[in-house]
Amino acid sequence: MTTTKVPRLAAFTPPHASKTDPETIRFRKKAILGLLILVFLVIPTLNQFGVIEPHVLNRVGRYLCFAIAALGIDLIWGYAGVLSLCHALFFCIGGYAMAMHLSLPEAGGDVRPEYHNIPQFFFFNNVDTLPFWWRPFASLPFAILAAFVLPALVAGLVGFFIFRNRVRGVYFSIITQALAWGAFLAFSRNEMLLGGTNGLTNFFKPLNSNNKWILGLYLLTATLLVGTFLLVRGVTRSRLGRVLVAVRDNETRLYFLGYRPDLYKAFAFIGAALLAALGGLLYAPQNGIITPNVMRVEDSIWMVIWVAVGGRGRLWGAVFGALMANFTYSALTSDMPRAWPFIQAGLFLGALAFPNGICDLWTKLEGEVRQGSRIFRPLLALAFVEVALIADKLHWIPSFGGFAILGVQSKYWIVIAITIILCIGRVAHASIPMLGLAWFILTEAFGIMPSSFSVLKYVLVLASILVYAYLEGNVTSGLKSIIGRFRRSGRKGEAATVGNTP
Amino acid sequence: MSVEASALRLKVARPEDAMVRVENATVVFDGFKALDIDSFSVRQNEIRVVIGPNGAGKTTLCDVISGKTRLKSGRIYLNGADISRFKDFEIARLGVGRKFQTPAVFGSLTVQENLELAAPISKGVLPALYRKTSAADRDKIREVIFAVGLDAVPDVQAQYLSHGQRQALEIGMLLVSSPKLLLIDEPAAGLSDDETGTMATLIKKLAEGHTVIVIEHDMGFVRQLEADITVLNEGRILAEGPMSAVQADPRVIEAYLGR
Repeated sequence: MTTTKVPRLAAFTPPHASKTDPETIRFRKKAILGLLILVFLVIPTLNQFGVIEPHVLNRVGRYLCFAIAALGIDLIWGYAGVLSLCHALFFCIGGYAMAMHLSLPEAGGDVRPEYHNIPQFFFFNNVDTLPFWWRPFASLPFAILAAFVLPALVAGLVGFFIFRNRVRGVYFSIITQALAWGAFLAFSRNEMLLGGTNGLTNFFKPLNSNNKWILGLYLLTATLLVGTFLLVRGVTRSRLGRVLVAVRDNETRLYFLGYRPDLYKAFAFIGAALLAALGGLLYAPQNGIITPNVMRVEDSIWMVIWVAVGGRGRLWGAVFGALMANFTYSALTSDMPRAWPFIQAGLFLGALAFPNGICDLWTKLEGEVRQGSRIFRPLLALAFVEVALIADKLHWIPSFGGFAILGVQSKYWIVIAITIILCIGRVAHASIPMLGLAWFILTEAFGIMPSSFSVLKYVLVLASILVYAYLEGNVTSGLKSIIGRFRRSGRKGEAATVGNTP
Repeated sequence: MSVEASALRLKVARPEDAMVRVENATVVFDGFKALDIDSFSVRQNEIRVVIGPNGAGKTTLCDVISGKTRLKSGRIYLNGADISRFKDFEIARLGVGRKFQTPAVFGSLTVQENLELAAPISKGVLPALYRKTSAADRDKIREVIFAVGLDAVPDVQAQYLSHGQRQALEIGMLLVSSPKLLLIDEPAAGLSDDETGTMATLIKKLAEGHTVIVIEHDMGFVRQLEADITVLNEGRILAEGPMSAVQADPRVIEAYLGR
C-alpha cells in the first residue's frame, strides 16, 4: 500500500477517493448500526408510545420515498455526470400507477353509487363507465408492474435515442426539462382521464389516517430504502460503476476504448427512472393524493438540489440530502413561509461552496475521530436533548411554575443549559454542525419540538454551523470560494493545451 | 539500419500486407479540404511518424483511421477489411488504440482502475455489471504498471498525477488493451527531456508486436524513434522515407520554412 501525499483541492472529490483504514470502517459500522436501530426500533417504539404522532410518522415515511428517488438521481448525476431534469415525472408516473389502483373500488377506493361506482372525477367529465385502460389497474400486481414498466419505457426510449445521437451536457438537461413540462401539461388536461389538475385522490382512507397502516407503510418504505441502497451500491462498485464515473470524466475517450457510453448512460437513466418510480409508488398511498403539480420542472430541480446538498457521488449523501432538504422545507414553510425561497437559494449557494455537501462534514468527522478527538460528549448532549424533548412530550417534566424568558419556558432553558455544559471541552470540530443538523432532523422526524422553540432551533442550527466555520478558520475562505466559483465559471475556455509548434 | 534498406522497406510489396491502408481519401470541413491522400499504408509492426506544419491534416488522418471523422470519399482498410463506414467504438473493438494529444485519462479513477477499463474484456453494459476483471488481466495490469513506471502510485486517482505520469498512464492503457494498431498523437508534447527519452523507449517497445503511427513535432524525439517518416502538408502527402532523405527534400524544407 502506498501513501502518496495527495494535494488537497477545493474541488468535487469523487468516490473511490482512497482506501479507508480499519478504524474508520469500525466507526462507520457503529454509525450504520445506530441509524438502523433508530429507524427500525426507536422510531416505531416511540410511535407506539404516542410520542411520534401518526401524521409525523407519515411525513417521515414520505420523505423516505424521496430518499429512494434521490438514490437514482445520484446514480445518473453523481456517478455518470448526466444532469437529468425529469425525475419528478418518473416519480409521478410511479405514483399515478399506484393511485389509479388505489382509487378503484377493488382497492377500497372511495367511490359512490351516485357516481356510478367509479372514481368521482369521471362523473364530472361526463364519463359513466371506467375506460378500458383503467380496468387492469384493479389488480395490484398489474399496477405495480405498470409503475415500473412505464417509466422504464419512457427513460429507455428517450435515453437511447438522445444518447445515441451523442446529445450531452446542458442540451440533454433542456430536453428532459421539456419532457417534464410537456408531461405536466398533458396530465393536467381532463381529456387524459387522470383527474386533470386535481389529480387522483379518495383512496382507501386508513392508508394515511390509521396508525397501523402508517407504521406499516413507513417500515415498508424504510426496508425498501435499505434494499435499494444496497442494490445501487452494488452497481456503483461493479465495473459498470467505474465506467459510469469514466463517462463523467471523459466520455469521448470511452468510445476509443471500445465502450458505448451511450448505452451505459441509458442504463443509468433507466435505473434512475425505476428508483424514482419506486419512490412515487410508495409515496402515493402515504400522501393520499397525487397531482400533476408534483411533476413540474421545479420539482425535478428541487430533487437535484437534495443530492447536491447531501453530496453527489456518494449514495448516503443523496439519502441524507433528501431527508434534510425536505425536513427543512416542512419546518420552514410552516413556520416562516415567506423565507422559503431565500432558504432554497441558500441551499443552492451552499451546494456551490461545498461541492461534497454534508459528505464533507462526515469525512472531516471521520478524520478527527481517527486523530483521537472526541465526539462522545456532543453525542451525549444530542442524546440528552432528544430524551428531554421526548420526556417533555410525555409530560414527565414539571414546568417549574411555567414562567418564560424570551418566550421560551424556563424548563427548556434548563435543558439548553445542561446541553451546553455537556458540550464544553475538547470536541471534534466537525461534530458540532453534524450534531446541529442531526438534532434538527431528529426533532423534525419525532415531531417533538415545542412551538415556542421555532425561531430558536434555526438559530441553534445556524450557530452550530458558524461555530464550526469559525473553529476551522474558513468563514472568510468559504466566502472566497463561493465568489471564486462564480468568477472561475466565466473563463472556462482557458484550459491548458500543450504546445503545437515544431 | 541503412538508409537504402529502410527506403526499400517503405514500399509495401502487396497491398494486402499492410496493417492499415488509406486510399483516395478526402475529408472536407465546410468546403475546406482537410485531407486529400492518394495512398498511405503502414506495414505490420512498423513505426511510422507523421510530421507536418500546423493544419497539415496529421490529427485528421488519425481521426479518420480511428473513426472519429468520416471520409467524404475513399476507403480505409484495416488488415485488408474495409472499415471506412465503421463507428469509432467498432474500430476500437477491432484493435485500433488511440492516444490523444492531451492525456485523456479518467481523473476520478485510480491508475489501476483506468487500466482495468482499458483491458480487452467485454465492453457491454450487462457483462460490466457482473463480470470481474480476470486474474490474467490483473497480472497483465500489474506488469504494465511496472513497465510504464507507475508502480509507486497504483491507487492514486489519475487527476492527481503529473503530466508525464498521465502520458505514461495513457501509454499503459494502450499496452493493456494490446491493440493491433496504435495511433499516438504528440506523445512528447509538454514532456521534460528525460521523460521524452523514456517515451521514445516506450514507443519503440510498443512497436514489438504492434503497428504504431506517431504524430510528432519534436524532431529530436522523431530522431530517437529511428522510424520512417511521412510528411503531410495542406492535407497531402509531401514526402515519405527515412529521416535523412526527408530532411534533405527541398519541398519539405519549403513547406516548413514558408515560400
